[in-house]
Amino acid sequence: MAIVMSFMTNKDILTGSMPSTFTLDNYVRAFERFPLFQYLFNSLVVSIVIMIGQLVLSSLAAYAFVFLEFKGRDLLFYLFIATMMVPFEASIIPNFQIIRDLGWIDTYSGLAVPFFATAFGTFLLRQNFKQIPKELREASQIAGMGDFKYYLTVVLPVSRASLVTLGIYGFLSSWNMYLWPLLSTTNDKVRTVQIGLKQLQTQEQLNEWGVIMAGAVIVIIPTLILLFFGQKKLQKGLTEGALK
Amino acid sequence: MKKLLAFLTLGLLLFLAACSSEGGSAKEPGNNGDTSDSAENAEKQEVTFWHSMGGAGQEALNKIVEEYNTSQDGIQVNAEYQGTYDESLTKFNAVAGSDSAPSVIQTFEIGTMSMINSGQITPIQEFVDADSYDMSGLEENITNYYSLDGKFYSMPFNSSTPVMYYNKDAFKAAGLDPETPPATYEEVEEASKKIVESNPEMKGFALQAYGWLWEQLLANQGALLLNNDNGRTDTPTEIGWTEEEGKSILEWVKRMVDDETFANYGTNGDNMMAGFLAGDVSMFLQSSASSRDVIDNAPFEVGIAYLPHPEDKERQGVVIGGASLWMIDGKSEEEQKAAWEFMKYLQTPEIQAEWHVGTGYFAINPGAYEEQVVKDAHAEKPQLQVTVDQLQDTKASYATQGALMDMLPEGRKIMETALEKIYNGGDVDEAYNTAVEQFNVAIEQANAARGE
Amino acid sequence: MSMTNAAQINETTVFDMEPVKKKQRIKSFMKGMAFLLPSIILFSVFLFYPMFRTIYLSFFLTKANGDPTVFVGLENYINMFSSPIFLKSMKSTFLFVLYTVPASVIISLFLSIIANEKLKGIGFFRTMYSSTMGVSVAAASVFWLYLFNPSMGLLNQVLGSFGIEAIGWLTDPKWALLSVSITTIWMNIGFTFLILLGGLQSIDSSLYESADIEGAGYLYKLRRVTIPMLSPTMFFVITVTIINAFQSFGQIDILTQGGPINETNLIVYSIYREAFVNYKFGSASAQAIVLFILILLMTALQFKLGERKVHYQ
Repeated sequence: MAIVMSFMTNKDILTGSMPSTFTLDNYVRAFERFPLFQYLFNSLVVSIVIMIGQLVLSSLAAYAFVFLEFKGRDLLFYLFIATMMVPFEASIIPNFQIIRDLGWIDTYSGLAVPFFATAFGTFLLRQNFKQIPKELREASQIAGMGDFKYYLTVVLPVSRASLVTLGIYGFLSSWNMYLWPLLSTTNDKVRTVQIGLKQLQTQEQLNEWGVIMAGAVIVIIPTLILLFFGQKKLQKGLTEGALK
Repeated sequence: MKKLLAFLTLGLLLFLAACSSEGGSAKEPGNNGDTSDSAENAEKQEVTFWHSMGGAGQEALNKIVEEYNTSQDGIQVNAEYQGTYDESLTKFNAVAGSDSAPSVIQTFEIGTMSMINSGQITPIQEFVDADSYDMSGLEENITNYYSLDGKFYSMPFNSSTPVMYYNKDAFKAAGLDPETPPATYEEVEEASKKIVESNPEMKGFALQAYGWLWEQLLANQGALLLNNDNGRTDTPTEIGWTEEEGKSILEWVKRMVDDETFANYGTNGDNMMAGFLAGDVSMFLQSSASSRDVIDNAPFEVGIAYLPHPEDKERQGVVIGGASLWMIDGKSEEEQKAAWEFMKYLQTPEIQAEWHVGTGYFAINPGAYEEQVVKDAHAEKPQLQVTVDQLQDTKASYATQGALMDMLPEGRKIMETALEKIYNGGDVDEAYNTAVEQFNVAIEQANAARGE
Repeated sequence: MSMTNAAQINETTVFDMEPVKKKQRIKSFMKGMAFLLPSIILFSVFLFYPMFRTIYLSFFLTKANGDPTVFVGLENYINMFSSPIFLKSMKSTFLFVLYTVPASVIISLFLSIIANEKLKGIGFFRTMYSSTMGVSVAAASVFWLYLFNPSMGLLNQVLGSFGIEAIGWLTDPKWALLSVSITTIWMNIGFTFLILLGGLQSIDSSLYESADIEGAGYLYKLRRVTIPMLSPTMFFVITVTIINAFQSFGQIDILTQGGPINETNLIVYSIYREAFVNYKFGSASAQAIVLFILILLMTALQFKLGERKVHYQ
C-alpha cells in the first residue's frame, strides 16, 4: 500500500481517490531533497559497526555468565538485566551531554559506541549458551582447552544461529534509530536515513504523503533485503549446526 | 569457524578504520552537505543556521540560503535541519555555550520566553541599534509579538495565522452563499446544519484539538491567555481569560457535537485536511501556511475566511504564529555580524516575496506584497489575499499581541485534552474546570522552577 | 576505540592467567571480569551514570537546559502521584502491556510452529512473518496511520461496505488504546517470531524421533517436547516483550500523541513530553524512576515465577 502510494500524486492521495496516474516523481523528489546516498552510506556504517560491537561484547559477557563461576556473578547479571529497564528517553539527555564532552558530536563513534553494550544481546545469548550441553565444556577442559579458546572454537560456532539473529536484530534496530542520531548530529556529514525521512515531513504545512512514502520505501528496502538473505543464511547455519 | 573469526577481525578493523578516518576528516573544514561547500575559501565567515523546516519549507529555505551564498563572497551560511522545534530546542539547550552551538537558531513563537530566560542569546536589538536598522519597515502585527518592552529579542521569520477554510462547492449545494462565509460561532453552527441536511455524508465543521487554535479563538474575542497583560507587563501568575470567554468556545463546540454536525479528528491536523479534501467536512480552522497546499490539492473550489468569533463580541483579530530567528551569544563578533547580515537579507522584499509564494507563510516585510511574483500569485489565488487582510485588520492590543511565557507548550496540551473531552461528549463544566486548574498549576510550577 | 583496546587487553590477561594455578577464586573472578569489562565500562558511562543523574534530578526543579535550580525533596513524586493525569498514565500503561504482550507472544508462537514445519515454500512465509521487524517504527506507524484514517483508511472503508458506521480508531477514547495496541502487536510479531523460530529450530531432532518411535501424537509432542524445550526462549521473549511494551514510544508519538483525553499517554510518552516539550526535567526524572521501578518489579516477578519453570538442557 505504501508502495502504491509512493507512485501517486499528492492530490490523489489526499482526496482518497484511485490513482489517476503512476509517477516516479515522488522518488525523484525524495532523492533531490537531501543527500540520500550519503545518508544511506552513513546508516550502513553505523549499523554494521553497532552490530559487530554488540556481537563481540554480548557474546563475551554471555559467556562469562554461563560458563564462568565467580563471586557476584548473579548480582552482575541482574544488574545487566536492570539496564534494559532504564527508559531510553530518560537517559538520552545525560548521554548527549557525555557525547558532547567527549567531542563525539557529528562522529560515527558518537552514533555507535553508546549502543555497543546491550543487556538484551547478553540475555539472548545467555539463554542460548545455556542450551549447549555441559559435556562439551567438560570434554574441552579435560583436553586442556582454555576459556578463550573454548569460547572461540566451540561456543561461537555452535550458537551461530543466535549470533546471526542478534546480528540482524542489532543491525535493524540501529538502522531504524531516529531520536539519537538526530540529537548527536548537527549536519549532513554523518546523518542517517531516518532523519532524512523525517525531513520530508513538515510541521505546519500539508504533507506530501507521496514523497514521504517514497522515502519510506527507499529506507525500508535495504532492511527487507537483509532480512530476506538473513533468513536464508539463518537456515543454512542451522542445517550446518545440525550435522555436528 | 575460521570464516567467523575472519569476519570478526574484519569488523574490528573496519571499526578502527571508521574511527580514525572520521577523526581525520573532522579536522578538515570541508563539509559535503548539500547547502555548504566552504572548503574552497577559508576566508569566508561561516554562519551555522539551525532550522526546523521540513518538506516544502526546507526546499524553499535551502534555495534562499544558496542564493545568498552565491550573491556575495564574504559569508557562508550553512543551513542545518535539526528536527522539530522541540527537538531542536532540546539540543540547543544541551550544546549552548559550547563550540557545537549554532550562530542562528529558528525557534517557534511560544519558545520566545524560554529563549530569553536561557541567557544564551544576544537580543537582536543590539544589532538593530548599532546598525540603525529600521524595524518599522516590517509588518506591524508581526513585530508586535516579538518585541517586549520595546525591545526586539529575535528576528521574525516564518509567520502564519489561523484562518477558516471552507468548501465553496458544498456551500452552493447546501444553498449557502459561497461568497459570504459564516463569521460568527452562531453562523458557523447554522451553516453546518445546512451542510449536513443537504449531504448527510458530510459534516459541517472541524476543529483540530490544537492548543494554538484555542489561543487564537481567545484572542479573537479580545481575551487574554495569561494575566499581567498576557505576560507582557509582568510574569504571569494565572490564566488571563474569564470563565465566560473560555466557556464560550467549549460550549460552541459542544452544541455542534450535539447537533452531530461536528467532525472529530482529534489532534491530527493531517487527517483533518485529508477529510476536508475528501469532502468529509465542509469547514475547518488551520494555519494560513497550509493555504497554498489546500487550494492546490482540492478537487473543488476552496474559500478562505476570517477566524469566527462569538456573535456578542467584536472581532479583534489574530495573534501571529510561526517562528523567529535568534542570535546566539558567545560567538565571535565577526560571526554575529555575518549572521546579522544574513538576517537582514532574509527581510528584504524580494526574498520575502519568494518565501511567501514558495511556502504560504506571510511576508514579514509588507513591501513584498508589491513584488510582481506576489501580485501574480494573489491574482491567481485570490484566497491568499484574505489571509493577509485578516492579519492587517487585526486590532493591536495585549490580547492580539500574544502571550509570552515558558510554560505555553504545556498549556496547549492541557487545552487540547479539554477540547477532546468535549469532542467525545464530555461535560463542559467538568472539562473547563479541570483544564483551568491544571493550567494554573502549570504556571505556578514554571514560576517556581525559575526560583521566583 | 575503548572497546577494541579493552577487548585486546582481555585476550592477553586471559592467556596470562592460564598458567597460574594459585588463588583459584581470584583468578576465576578476574576471568569473569575480563569477559565482562567492555560491557561494564560502556554501561557505566552510558547507563549507570545517566541513571544516577536522573535520580538526582528527580529531587529538583530545573531550568530549560536541565540544570537544577530549586531543591524540592520528594515534591516531584508527591505531585506525580496526586496527579490524575499520571495515575491515568499508569493505568493506560498496564492496560497496554496486558493487551500487547500475551497477544504478541501467542500469535508469534502459533506462526513459528507453523513455519517450522518442513513444507515447500515455507521460506517465503518465514520472510513474510519476520518482515515487520525490518520496518522501522516510523514507517510502520505511518502505514497504520493510513489504515486508521477516518476518511480514506482501509479499515473504515471495509466497515462501511458492511454498512457499519465508521469508528474513530484513534480519536475515540474507547478505541484509541486498542488501536495503538494492534499496531504494536503487528510490529512485535516479526521479532518474536524470528526468535521463537530460532528456538524451535535448535531443538534436537532426536527428541522428536524418539517420540515418534514411542508413537506419540502431534499434540503430545507439542506439549511434551516442543513447549518444554522452547521454554528458555519463551522466557526470554516474554521478558523482552514486557520491557519493550513498557517502553513503547514511537508509535504513540506518531499515531495519537498521547490523546484522546490522555487515553494513550503511556508513561514513556509522558516522560518525553515533560522533558522535551515542557522542559520539566525534575518531574520527568521522577516519572522515569517510577517507570524503572515498575519494570524492575515486573521483571523480578517474572524471573521468580518464570525461571523455575524454564527447562535448561
